[in-house]
Amino acid sequence: MRALGRGSVSSFLKVILDVFLVVLWIGVGAVTLGMLAALLLSFRPDLISGHMHVEYLDVQGAWLGPAAAALCLIVDIYLAGGIIIVSRLRAIFATLISGDPFHPENARRLRIIGAALAALEIGRYAVASLGRLVFHGVIHISGGVSLTTWFAILVIFVLAEVFREGARLRGEAELTI
Amino acid sequence: MPIRIRLDRLLLDRRMSLTELADRVGVTIANLSILKTGKARAIRFSTLSALCRELECQPGDLVVFEPGQPDDPDEEDDEA
Repeated sequence: MRALGRGSVSSFLKVILDVFLVVLWIGVGAVTLGMLAALLLSFRPDLISGHMHVEYLDVQGAWLGPAAAALCLIVDIYLAGGIIIVSRLRAIFATLISGDPFHPENARRLRIIGAALAALEIGRYAVASLGRLVFHGVIHISGGVSLTTWFAILVIFVLAEVFREGARLRGEAELTI
Repeated sequence: MPIRIRLDRLLLDRRMSLTELADRVGVTIANLSILKTGKARAIRFSTLSALCRELECQPGDLVVFEPGQPDDPDEEDDEA
């Protein structure tokens, strides 16, 4: 089973990433439309008849539109983070398929993935803190520190340095006559 | 890089073109150009040996050390 080149595991994984990226873009589009609709409807709360029920919290009337829009915005930010990560992963896998794993850009791409993961994780803490502040323990929001996530982020940053060193060695090999 | 390759001088003295030397040594013209313009990071003993054989010279005639130049080629690029 080959890991690099055409018809390898890398090309199979890239197809999955391609599909995943399209799904993420569709998700961003749908959630953005939902957010816009919620914002527009918040100007006419009389048109909204439903209510959002989360555990002991029941949002309805004039608060429903802004609450739904805020929820959509948070989901959109998460999806945008996913797009940043998946698009960089796709580019890395494209270099693996072309048999060039130590492409000079791959180190930068891995650093961006690590930074995006860190930003999403910090964003999760911010949303959880804000949620606890607003809802005063009415609903349970998980916002604990995930050691696995931070371990993965550090591993990605270390791998970025490994790829940077690999790219440097490749450059030297190319300029060895 | 304080190491200089005096390939152009030797070629001029021997009245030999870069293309002819590339054919004789078995190195591409592109790689010889990299060597000639001082952009190479390293040279293999086999290449140095072939160049000395075809140019009828010693390694010291081809490679010279010029003090006062920055060590890292990237620094030179940044300065340029």
